[in-house]
Amino acid sequence: MSQHDRTHHAKIATGKGDPQCFKGMAGPAKFKVGERVRIKDLPDVFYTRCQVYTRGAIGEVAVVTHESPAPEDEAWGHVDHSEWFYIVRFKQKDLWPEYPAAFANDTLQTEFSERWLEAV
Amino acid sequence: MVEEVSDFEALEIAVRELSIEKGLFTAEDHRRFTEFAEHIGPTPAARLVAKAWLDPEYKKLCLTDAIKASLAVGVDWLNPTGFGTPSDYTDLRVLEDTPTMHHVVVCTLCSCYPRPILGFQPEWYRTPNYRRRLVRWPRQVLAEFGLSLPAEVEIRVEDSNQKCRFIVMPVRPAGTEGWTEDQLTEIVTRDCLIGVALPRPGMTTNIPLPVHQPAKPAHH
Repeated sequence: MSQHDRTHHAKIATGKGDPQCFKGMAGPAKFKVGERVRIKDLPDVFYTRCQVYTRGAIGEVAVVTHESPAPEDEAWGHVDHSEWFYIVRFKQKDLWPEYPAAFANDTLQTEFSERWLEAV
Repeated sequence: MVEEVSDFEALEIAVRELSIEKGLFTAEDHRRFTEFAEHIGPTPAARLVAKAWLDPEYKKLCLTDAIKASLAVGVDWLNPTGFGTPSDYTDLRVLEDTPTMHHVVVCTLCSCYPRPILGFQPEWYRTPNYRRRLVRWPRQVLAEFGLSLPAEVEIRVEDSNQKCRFIVMPVRPAGTEGWTEDQLTEIVTRDCLIGVALPRPGMTTNIPLPVHQPAKPAHH
């Protein structure tokens, strides 16, 4: 039976917090604030935090937030690799076909790890 | 019915008792942590907003380093473990409303919420009703909370699906000129900090459910 170190997270994150404990691990961020990106429709058989309603949509990077393991890896305890995370902003009319033209200014923003984004 | 226990309640009891039996934590640890989580409040986040309304420098701190700004209202996001609490993490962001932009927060995936500074989420925030509908029909859902905004005001939905947690900093309402920090704190309700209500002088509670007065009230 393999030994699982249950104190690993406490060891790396005490006094720092999470996601602060992963700072510096992801290298340079691929995308910048203001850049247009498309959400990739990657296979997500087991676990994902990339909402299906965003797949294929084009938005703009609003904030470069932090480095962290992607949830698709972290959920399985694979925390050796970190990615940059980005809040991407969409026009609601680009997400929902029936969104009323009267509210053309409305937006929605949500967060993605780098693997989910591609340049447009 | 009180005799019935849901599958999830049975699961929680089983996992907790097994964890205690295996020595992962003690019953005392569990009690202390539960009490810590359940006694956050009343709404430190309300005081953060009130302070920001009164102090432009503090407002800038709220918008650039909200974790640090939380300390000023007595909230250390690292508490009580030293590295934060499960599912709350330690990356708070403050969403600043303007007269032409209103934010509202949801977590479509589960119900992520800035608990260390806002306490537990209300039940409605956890329901599929809110989580599925707010992202697609925000104006309709906000109208159900009694909040209707003109088309010129951009409604920006924040779907908090990762480690960042969000509170809304509403626009300071008219009629609060000369108010103290305490007075301002009182009108920033939890619902204002989620974005389903706007602060108003005289409104110091969360949105009351609309009550239709009876035509023939009972006499006691």
